[in-house]
Amino acid sequence: MNQLFQFLGRQRTFLLFLVLEIVNLWAIFSYNSYQHTWYFNTTNQWAASILSTTQEVKKYHQLRIVNGQLAAENARLHTQILQLRSQQQPAGKIPYFASAALMNRYQAIACKVIDQTTQLSQNYLTIDKGLSDGIKPGMAVISSTGIVGKVMSSTANLSLIVSVLHTSNTVSAKLKSSGELGYMKWSGYQAEVGELMDVSKYKKVTKGDTVVTSDYNAVFPPNVPIGIVAKVGKEKDDTFHDIKVMLLTQFSTLQYVYVIKNRLAYQQAKLEQNKPKAE
Amino acid sequence: MNASLSVKWILGALAAMAMQVLFLRDIALANVAFCFIYLWVIIKAPMRTSTPLLLVVAFFSGWLIDVFYNTHGLHAFGTVLVALLRPTFFRILTPANGYDERSEISLAEMKWLWFFSFVGLMLVTHHLVLFLFEASDFALFGLSLLRAISSALLGILVFGLLEFFNRGQ
Repeated sequence: MNQLFQFLGRQRTFLLFLVLEIVNLWAIFSYNSYQHTWYFNTTNQWAASILSTTQEVKKYHQLRIVNGQLAAENARLHTQILQLRSQQQPAGKIPYFASAALMNRYQAIACKVIDQTTQLSQNYLTIDKGLSDGIKPGMAVISSTGIVGKVMSSTANLSLIVSVLHTSNTVSAKLKSSGELGYMKWSGYQAEVGELMDVSKYKKVTKGDTVVTSDYNAVFPPNVPIGIVAKVGKEKDDTFHDIKVMLLTQFSTLQYVYVIKNRLAYQQAKLEQNKPKAE
Repeated sequence: MNASLSVKWILGALAAMAMQVLFLRDIALANVAFCFIYLWVIIKAPMRTSTPLLLVVAFFSGWLIDVFYNTHGLHAFGTVLVALLRPTFFRILTPANGYDERSEISLAEMKWLWFFSFVGLMLVTHHLVLFLFEASDFALFGLSLLRAISSALLGILVFGLLEFFNRGQ
Protein backbone atom coordinates (compact mmCIF):
# COMPACT_ATOMS: atom_id res chain seq x y z
CA MET A 1 0.00 0.00 0.00
CA ASN A 2 2.76 2.32 1.00
CA GLN A 3 4.59 1.50 -2.19
CA LEU A 4 1.46 2.29 -4.17
CA PHE A 5 1.26 5.72 -2.56
CA GLN A 6 4.92 6.31 -3.26
CA PHE A 7 4.36 5.27 -6.85
CA LEU A 8 1.39 7.65 -7.14
CA GLY A 9 3.49 10.40 -5.57
CA ARG A 10 6.18 9.92 -8.18
CA GLN A 11 3.55 9.95 -10.89
CA ARG A 12 2.15 13.17 -9.45
CA THR A 13 5.54 14.79 -9.85
CA PHE A 14 5.78 13.60 -13.39
CA LEU A 15 2.25 14.77 -14.15
CA LEU A 16 3.12 18.19 -12.77
CA PHE A 17 6.22 18.19 -14.96
CA LEU A 18 4.14 17.32 -18.01
CA VAL A 19 1.59 20.03 -17.32
CA LEU A 20 4.28 22.68 -16.84
CA GLU A 21 6.13 21.64 -20.00
CA ILE A 22 2.94 21.66 -22.02
CA VAL A 23 2.25 25.19 -20.83
CA ASN A 24 5.80 26.09 -21.89
CA LEU A 25 5.45 24.48 -25.29
CA TRP A 26 2.18 26.26 -25.83
CA ALA A 27 3.89 29.55 -24.93
CA ILE A 28 6.86 28.80 -27.20
CA PHE A 29 4.72 28.06 -30.23
CA SER A 30 2.15 30.76 -29.76
CA TYR A 31 4.24 33.74 -28.63
CA ASN A 32 7.61 33.32 -30.36
CA SER A 33 7.19 34.38 -33.95
CA TYR A 34 9.96 32.15 -35.32
CA GLN A 35 8.74 28.97 -33.63
CA HIS A 36 5.17 29.91 -34.41
CA THR A 37 5.98 30.23 -38.10
CA TRP A 38 7.99 27.02 -38.04
CA TYR A 39 5.13 25.14 -36.42
CA PHE A 40 2.65 26.63 -38.83
CA ASN A 41 4.73 25.78 -41.91
CA THR A 42 5.64 22.26 -40.79
CA THR A 43 2.12 21.25 -39.88
CA ASN A 44 0.87 22.85 -43.06
CA GLN A 45 3.34 20.79 -45.06
CA TRP A 46 2.27 17.55 -43.40
CA ALA A 47 -1.36 18.34 -43.89
CA ALA A 48 -0.73 19.27 -47.50
CA SER A 49 1.17 16.08 -48.27
CA ILE A 50 -1.52 13.93 -46.67
CA LEU A 51 -4.25 15.80 -48.50
CA SER A 52 -2.44 15.50 -51.82
CA THR A 53 -2.05 11.75 -51.33
CA THR A 54 -5.77 11.47 -50.68
CA GLN A 55 -6.37 13.57 -53.73
CA GLU A 56 -4.23 11.22 -55.84
CA VAL A 57 -6.26 8.22 -54.69
CA LYS A 58 -9.51 10.03 -55.35
CA LYS A 59 -8.29 11.09 -58.79
CA TYR A 60 -7.50 7.49 -59.67
CA HIS A 61 -11.02 6.45 -58.79
CA GLN A 62 -12.44 9.28 -60.84
CA LEU A 63 -10.54 8.28 -64.01
CA ARG A 64 -13.55 6.49 -65.43
CA ILE A 65 -15.72 9.57 -65.07
CA VAL A 66 -12.95 11.79 -66.41
CA ASN A 67 -12.60 9.52 -69.46
CA GLY A 68 -16.28 9.90 -70.16
CA GLN A 69 -16.06 13.66 -69.80
CA LEU A 70 -13.08 13.83 -72.13
CA ALA A 71 -14.88 11.74 -74.70
CA ALA A 72 -17.86 14.09 -74.53
CA GLU A 73 -15.53 17.05 -74.95
CA ASN A 74 -13.87 15.38 -77.92
CA ALA A 75 -17.27 14.87 -79.48
CA ARG A 76 -17.97 18.58 -79.14
CA LEU A 77 -14.59 19.42 -80.67
CA HIS A 78 -15.16 17.01 -83.56
CA THR A 79 -18.42 18.75 -84.30
CA GLN A 80 -16.59 22.06 -84.38
CA ILE A 81 -13.82 20.75 -86.62
CA LEU A 82 -16.31 19.39 -89.11
CA GLN A 83 -18.14 22.70 -89.03
CA LEU A 84 -14.96 24.65 -89.74
CA ARG A 85 -13.91 22.28 -92.49
CA SER A 86 -17.15 22.71 -94.38
CA GLN A 87 -16.67 26.44 -94.04
CA GLN A 88 -13.23 26.28 -95.63
CA GLN A 89 -12.71 27.71 -99.06
CA PRO A 90 -11.85 25.09 -101.66
CA ALA A 91 -8.54 25.36 -103.51
CA GLY A 92 -10.08 27.14 -106.52
CA LYS A 93 -10.67 30.85 -106.71
CA ILE A 94 -14.43 30.61 -107.12
CA PRO A 95 -16.08 32.45 -104.25
CA TYR A 96 -17.79 29.84 -102.15
CA PHE A 97 -19.86 30.21 -99.04
CA ALA A 98 -21.27 27.26 -97.19
CA SER A 99 -24.84 27.76 -96.04
CA ALA A 100 -25.53 27.53 -92.34
CA ALA A 101 -27.40 24.26 -92.82
CA LEU A 102 -24.43 22.78 -94.65
CA MET A 103 -21.96 24.07 -92.12
CA ASN A 104 -23.82 22.63 -89.18
CA ARG A 105 -24.79 19.39 -90.74
CA TYR A 106 -22.40 17.22 -88.76
CA GLN A 107 -22.70 16.52 -85.08
CA ALA A 108 -20.54 14.08 -83.11
CA ILE A 109 -21.91 11.87 -80.33
CA ALA A 110 -19.45 10.19 -77.96
CA CYS A 111 -20.12 6.47 -77.40
CA LYS A 112 -18.38 3.73 -75.50
CA VAL A 113 -17.41 0.51 -77.24
CA ILE A 114 -18.86 -2.40 -75.28
CA ASP A 115 -17.97 -5.24 -77.60
CA GLN A 116 -15.90 -5.70 -80.74
CA THR A 117 -13.94 -8.16 -82.83
CA THR A 118 -10.86 -7.54 -84.97
CA GLN A 119 -9.75 -11.05 -85.81
CA LEU A 120 -12.55 -12.19 -88.11
CA SER A 121 -12.96 -11.26 -91.76
CA GLN A 122 -16.29 -9.60 -91.00
CA ASN A 123 -15.85 -7.50 -87.88
CA TYR A 124 -18.48 -5.59 -85.93
CA LEU A 125 -18.54 -3.31 -82.89
CA THR A 126 -21.31 -2.78 -80.37
CA ILE A 127 -21.66 0.66 -78.75
CA ASP A 128 -23.66 1.86 -75.78
CA LYS A 129 -25.99 4.33 -77.52
CA GLY A 130 -28.92 3.81 -79.82
CA LEU A 131 -32.10 5.27 -81.27
CA SER A 132 -32.97 7.15 -78.10
CA ASP A 133 -29.67 9.05 -78.40
CA GLY A 134 -30.38 9.99 -82.00
CA ILE A 135 -28.29 7.27 -83.62
CA LYS A 136 -29.69 5.75 -86.78
CA PRO A 137 -28.38 3.11 -89.18
CA GLY A 138 -26.14 4.52 -91.89
CA MET A 139 -24.30 7.05 -89.74
CA ALA A 140 -20.54 7.30 -89.80
CA VAL A 141 -18.44 6.25 -86.82
CA ILE A 142 -14.95 7.64 -86.24
CA SER A 143 -12.41 7.49 -83.44
CA SER A 144 -10.13 10.23 -82.25
CA THR A 145 -7.48 9.07 -84.72
CA GLY A 146 -9.36 7.80 -87.77
CA ILE A 147 -12.45 6.16 -89.18
CA VAL A 148 -14.11 3.18 -87.52
CA GLY A 149 -17.12 2.14 -89.58
CA LYS A 150 -20.79 2.81 -90.03
CA VAL A 151 -23.88 2.08 -88.00
CA MET A 152 -25.66 -1.00 -89.29
CA SER A 153 -28.57 -1.31 -86.93
CA SER A 154 -29.77 0.27 -83.72
CA THR A 155 -31.99 -0.67 -80.85
CA ALA A 156 -33.27 1.85 -78.31
CA ASN A 157 -30.01 1.94 -76.35
CA LEU A 158 -27.40 0.01 -78.35
CA SER A 159 -26.07 0.07 -81.87
CA LEU A 160 -24.17 -2.37 -84.05
CA ILE A 161 -21.42 -0.97 -86.22
CA VAL A 162 -19.92 -2.50 -89.32
CA SER A 163 -16.23 -1.99 -88.82
CA VAL A 164 -14.02 -0.89 -91.70
CA LEU A 165 -12.37 -4.21 -90.92
CA HIS A 166 -15.11 -5.88 -92.96
CA THR A 167 -14.38 -7.23 -96.40
CA SER A 168 -17.51 -5.80 -97.98
CA ASN A 169 -17.32 -2.38 -96.33
CA THR A 170 -15.67 0.09 -98.65
CA VAL A 171 -15.03 3.76 -98.01
CA SER A 172 -14.62 6.44 -100.63
CA ALA A 173 -11.15 7.91 -100.05
CA LYS A 174 -8.62 10.29 -101.49
CA LEU A 175 -4.96 11.08 -101.09
CA LYS A 176 -4.64 14.21 -99.07
CA SER A 177 -1.67 15.65 -100.95
CA SER A 178 -2.81 15.12 -104.54
CA GLY A 179 -6.57 14.82 -104.03
CA GLU A 180 -6.49 11.60 -106.09
CA LEU A 181 -9.69 9.59 -105.57
CA GLY A 182 -10.08 5.92 -104.85
CA TYR A 183 -11.71 3.68 -102.32
CA MET A 184 -10.48 1.94 -99.24
CA LYS A 185 -11.08 -1.72 -98.72
CA TRP A 186 -9.90 -4.04 -96.02
CA SER A 187 -7.88 -6.98 -97.22
CA GLY A 188 -9.40 -9.25 -94.58
CA TYR A 189 -6.59 -10.48 -92.40
CA GLN A 190 -4.55 -7.72 -90.76
CA ALA A 191 -6.30 -5.29 -88.42
CA GLU A 192 -3.77 -2.58 -89.21
CA VAL A 193 -3.65 -2.73 -92.99
CA GLY A 194 -6.15 -1.71 -95.66
CA GLU A 195 -5.89 -1.29 -99.42
CA LEU A 196 -6.52 1.80 -101.50
CA MET A 197 -8.04 0.78 -104.82
CA ASP A 198 -8.70 2.52 -108.12
CA VAL A 199 -5.82 4.98 -108.03
CA SER A 200 -4.49 5.32 -111.54
CA LYS A 201 -0.98 4.07 -112.14
CA TYR A 202 -0.11 7.29 -113.92
CA LYS A 203 -0.59 9.39 -110.82
CA LYS A 204 2.21 9.91 -108.43
CA VAL A 205 1.78 8.19 -105.05
CA THR A 206 4.47 8.30 -102.44
CA LYS A 207 4.96 6.35 -99.27
CA GLY A 208 3.80 8.37 -96.24
CA ASP A 209 0.91 10.15 -97.97
CA THR A 210 -2.15 10.53 -95.79
CA VAL A 211 -5.36 8.93 -96.96
CA VAL A 212 -8.56 10.72 -95.94
CA THR A 213 -12.23 10.30 -96.70
CA SER A 214 -13.28 11.96 -99.94
CA ASP A 215 -15.78 14.73 -100.47
CA TYR A 216 -18.09 12.39 -102.36
CA ASN A 217 -18.69 10.17 -99.44
CA ALA A 218 -22.28 9.33 -98.61
CA VAL A 219 -21.45 8.26 -95.09
CA PHE A 220 -18.35 9.98 -93.75
CA PRO A 221 -17.69 13.68 -93.54
CA PRO A 222 -14.89 14.75 -95.87
CA ASN A 223 -11.23 14.79 -94.79
CA VAL A 224 -11.45 12.39 -91.88
CA PRO A 225 -8.09 10.58 -91.66
CA ILE A 226 -8.09 6.93 -92.67
CA GLY A 227 -4.46 5.91 -92.79
CA ILE A 228 -0.95 6.40 -94.10
CA VAL A 229 0.35 4.95 -97.36
CA ALA A 230 2.73 2.21 -96.26
CA LYS A 231 3.63 0.51 -99.50
CA VAL A 232 3.12 1.24 -103.17
CA GLY A 233 3.14 -1.93 -105.25
CA LYS A 234 4.51 -2.21 -108.80
CA GLU A 235 2.38 -4.45 -110.95
CA LYS A 236 3.36 -3.78 -114.57
CA ASP A 237 0.26 -5.04 -116.34
CA ASP A 238 -2.28 -3.43 -114.04
CA THR A 239 -4.02 -0.09 -114.60
CA PHE A 240 -4.03 0.83 -110.94
CA HIS A 241 -1.53 1.20 -108.16
CA ASP A 242 -1.41 -1.50 -105.52
CA ILE A 243 -1.41 0.64 -102.36
CA LYS A 244 -1.25 -0.69 -98.81
CA VAL A 245 -2.55 1.71 -96.19
CA MET A 246 -1.64 1.60 -92.52
CA LEU A 247 -4.90 2.38 -90.70
CA LEU A 248 -4.76 5.14 -88.12
CA THR A 249 -7.45 3.81 -85.81
CA GLN A 250 -6.09 1.49 -83.14
CA PHE A 251 -8.86 -1.09 -83.15
CA SER A 252 -7.32 -3.30 -80.51
CA THR A 253 -7.45 -0.58 -77.85
CA LEU A 254 -10.55 1.26 -78.98
CA GLN A 255 -12.67 2.49 -76.06
CA TYR A 256 -14.58 5.54 -77.20
CA VAL A 257 -15.92 6.29 -80.66
CA TYR A 258 -17.88 9.19 -82.11
CA VAL A 259 -20.97 8.67 -84.17
CA ILE A 260 -21.33 11.41 -86.75
CA LYS A 261 -24.85 12.52 -87.29
CA ASN A 262 -25.37 14.05 -90.74
CA ARG A 263 -28.42 16.30 -90.63
CA LEU A 264 -28.61 16.53 -94.42
CA ALA A 265 -28.26 12.80 -95.07
CA TYR A 266 -31.99 12.31 -95.53
CA GLN A 267 -32.26 15.20 -97.98
CA GLN A 268 -29.33 13.91 -99.97
CA ALA A 269 -30.66 10.38 -100.12
CA LYS A 270 -34.10 11.57 -101.17
CA LEU A 271 -32.64 13.81 -103.82
CA GLU A 272 -30.38 11.18 -105.29
CA GLN A 273 -33.15 8.61 -105.30
CA ASN A 274 -34.77 10.48 -108.11
CA LYS A 275 -31.78 10.25 -110.42
CA PRO A 276 -32.90 8.89 -113.76
CA LYS A 277 -31.72 5.35 -114.12
CA ALA A 278 -29.42 4.62 -116.99
CA GLU A 279 -31.08 2.55 -119.67
CA MET B 1 14.30 21.37 5.67
CA ASN B 2 16.82 23.46 7.48
CA ALA B 3 15.28 26.94 7.93
CA SER B 4 18.47 28.96 7.56
CA LEU B 5 19.34 26.97 4.47
CA SER B 6 15.95 27.82 2.94
CA VAL B 7 16.27 31.49 3.73
CA LYS B 8 19.74 31.52 2.25
CA TRP B 9 18.41 29.80 -0.86
CA ILE B 10 15.50 32.21 -1.29
CA LEU B 11 17.72 35.28 -0.88
CA GLY B 12 20.31 33.84 -3.22
CA ALA B 13 17.62 33.00 -5.76
CA LEU B 14 16.26 36.54 -5.73
CA ALA B 15 19.79 37.94 -6.08
CA ALA B 16 20.57 35.59 -8.98
CA MET B 17 17.35 36.49 -10.79
CA ALA B 18 17.92 40.19 -10.32
CA MET B 19 21.48 39.92 -11.54
CA GLN B 20 20.41 37.91 -14.55
CA VAL B 21 17.74 40.34 -15.76
CA LEU B 22 19.52 43.54 -14.74
CA PHE B 23 23.15 42.95 -15.66
CA LEU B 24 23.67 39.74 -17.63
CA ARG B 25 20.78 40.05 -20.06
CA ASP B 26 22.74 41.57 -22.91
CA ILE B 27 26.10 40.00 -22.28
CA ALA B 28 27.48 37.36 -24.60
CA LEU B 29 31.14 36.45 -24.93
CA ALA B 30 32.12 36.23 -28.59
CA ASN B 31 28.43 35.88 -29.37
CA VAL B 32 28.53 32.20 -28.31
CA ALA B 33 28.92 32.09 -24.51
CA PHE B 34 25.96 33.28 -22.48
CA CYS B 35 25.90 33.42 -18.73
CA PHE B 36 22.70 32.06 -17.23
CA ILE B 37 23.40 32.58 -13.60
CA TYR B 38 19.71 32.35 -12.69
CA LEU B 39 20.10 28.57 -12.80
CA TRP B 40 21.56 29.07 -9.34
CA VAL B 41 17.93 28.83 -8.21
CA ILE B 42 17.68 25.19 -9.21
CA ILE B 43 21.28 24.13 -8.82
CA LYS B 44 21.66 25.43 -5.31
CA ALA B 45 18.23 24.39 -4.02
CA PRO B 46 18.61 22.44 -0.78
CA MET B 47 18.95 18.72 -1.39
CA ARG B 48 15.74 17.85 0.42
CA THR B 49 13.57 20.17 -1.64
CA SER B 50 10.70 18.08 -2.98
CA THR B 51 10.64 17.71 -6.76
CA PRO B 52 7.09 19.11 -7.23
CA LEU B 53 8.05 22.27 -5.34
CA LEU B 54 11.24 22.54 -7.35
CA LEU B 55 9.27 22.08 -10.59
CA VAL B 56 6.97 24.95 -9.70
CA VAL B 57 9.87 27.16 -8.65
CA ALA B 58 11.73 26.29 -11.85
CA PHE B 59 8.65 27.06 -13.90
CA PHE B 60 8.12 30.50 -12.40
CA SER B 61 11.78 31.51 -12.43
CA GLY B 62 12.13 30.36 -16.04
CA TRP B 63 8.94 32.13 -16.97
CA LEU B 64 10.15 35.35 -15.37
CA ILE B 65 13.43 35.17 -17.29
CA ASP B 66 11.43 34.52 -20.46
CA VAL B 67 9.42 37.66 -19.86
CA PHE B 68 12.61 39.70 -19.72
CA TYR B 69 14.33 37.87 -22.57
CA ASN B 70 11.22 37.96 -24.75
CA THR B 71 11.50 34.20 -25.37
CA HIS B 72 8.18 33.02 -24.04
CA GLY B 73 8.37 29.49 -22.72
CA LEU B 74 11.89 28.63 -23.91
CA HIS B 75 13.79 29.15 -20.64
CA ALA B 76 10.91 27.78 -18.59
CA PHE B 77 10.95 24.61 -20.70
CA GLY B 78 14.63 24.07 -19.95
CA THR B 79 14.44 24.89 -16.25
CA VAL B 80 11.45 22.61 -15.62
CA LEU B 81 13.30 19.82 -17.43
CA VAL B 82 16.47 20.15 -15.36
CA ALA B 83 14.37 20.44 -12.17
CA LEU B 84 12.85 17.05 -12.98
CA LEU B 85 16.24 15.54 -13.86
CA ARG B 86 18.00 16.88 -10.74
CA PRO B 87 17.23 13.83 -8.55
CA THR B 88 18.36 11.56 -11.38
CA PHE B 89 21.68 13.40 -11.61
CA PHE B 90 22.07 12.98 -7.86
CA ARG B 91 21.55 9.25 -8.21
CA ILE B 92 24.06 9.01 -11.06
CA LEU B 93 26.76 11.01 -9.31
CA THR B 94 26.42 10.14 -5.63
CA PRO B 95 29.32 7.98 -4.45
CA ALA B 96 28.73 4.61 -2.80
CA ASN B 97 28.72 5.97 0.77
CA GLY B 98 26.51 8.85 -0.40
CA TYR B 99 25.83 12.37 0.73
CA ASP B 100 23.09 12.59 3.29
CA GLU B 101 20.11 14.69 2.47
CA ARG B 102 20.59 17.45 4.98
CA SER B 103 23.52 18.94 3.18
CA GLU B 104 23.45 21.90 0.85
CA ILE B 105 25.11 21.74 -2.51
CA SER B 106 28.42 23.56 -2.23
CA LEU B 107 32.06 23.20 -2.99
CA ALA B 108 32.72 23.44 0.74
CA GLU B 109 30.81 20.28 1.57
CA MET B 110 31.31 18.20 -1.53
CA LYS B 111 34.19 16.93 -3.53
CA TRP B 112 35.09 19.36 -6.28
CA LEU B 113 34.76 16.66 -8.95
CA TRP B 114 31.22 15.83 -7.81
CA PHE B 115 30.23 19.48 -7.60
CA PHE B 116 31.52 20.43 -11.04
CA SER B 117 30.09 17.30 -12.68
CA PHE B 118 26.70 18.09 -11.21
CA VAL B 119 26.79 21.76 -12.23
CA GLY B 120 28.11 20.79 -15.66
CA LEU B 121 25.34 18.23 -16.24
CA MET B 122 22.64 20.68 -15.19
CA LEU B 123 24.02 23.48 -17.33
CA VAL B 124 24.68 21.38 -20.43
CA THR B 125 21.21 19.82 -20.32
CA HIS B 126 19.51 23.15 -19.87
CA HIS B 127 21.58 24.95 -22.48
CA LEU B 128 21.24 22.20 -25.08
CA VAL B 129 17.47 22.22 -24.78
CA LEU B 130 17.37 25.99 -24.75
CA PHE B 131 19.62 26.66 -27.75
CA LEU B 132 18.36 23.80 -29.92
CA PHE B 133 14.80 24.83 -29.27
CA GLU B 134 15.61 28.46 -29.88
CA ALA B 135 17.16 27.67 -33.26
CA SER B 136 14.51 25.10 -34.24
CA ASP B 137 16.57 24.42 -37.33
CA PHE B 138 18.93 21.56 -38.12
CA ALA B 139 21.01 23.87 -40.30
CA LEU B 140 21.97 25.71 -37.10
CA PHE B 141 22.68 22.52 -35.15
CA GLY B 142 26.43 23.12 -35.02
CA LEU B 143 26.10 26.69 -33.83
CA SER B 144 23.53 25.71 -31.20
CA LEU B 145 25.84 22.97 -29.94
CA LEU B 146 28.78 25.37 -29.77
CA ARG B 147 26.69 27.90 -27.86
CA ALA B 148 25.43 25.29 -25.41
CA ILE B 149 28.91 23.91 -24.67
CA SER B 150 30.65 27.28 -24.39
CA SER B 151 27.86 28.71 -22.24
CA ALA B 152 28.05 25.66 -19.98
CA LEU B 153 31.84 26.08 -19.61
CA LEU B 154 31.40 29.75 -18.76
CA GLY B 155 28.66 28.77 -16.29
CA ILE B 156 30.94 26.23 -14.56
CA LEU B 157 33.62 28.91 -14.23
CA VAL B 158 31.17 31.44 -12.76
CA PHE B 159 29.66 28.91 -10.30
CA GLY B 160 33.15 27.91 -9.23
CA LEU B 161 34.06 31.54 -8.56
CA LEU B 162 30.85 32.05 -6.56
CA GLU B 163 31.69 29.02 -4.42
CA PHE B 164 35.18 30.30 -3.77
CA PHE B 165 33.71 33.58 -2.53
CA ASN B 166 31.28 31.64 -0.31
CA ARG B 167 34.08 29.57 1.14
CA GLY B 168 36.07 32.70 1.86
CA GLN B 169 33.29 34.02 4.07
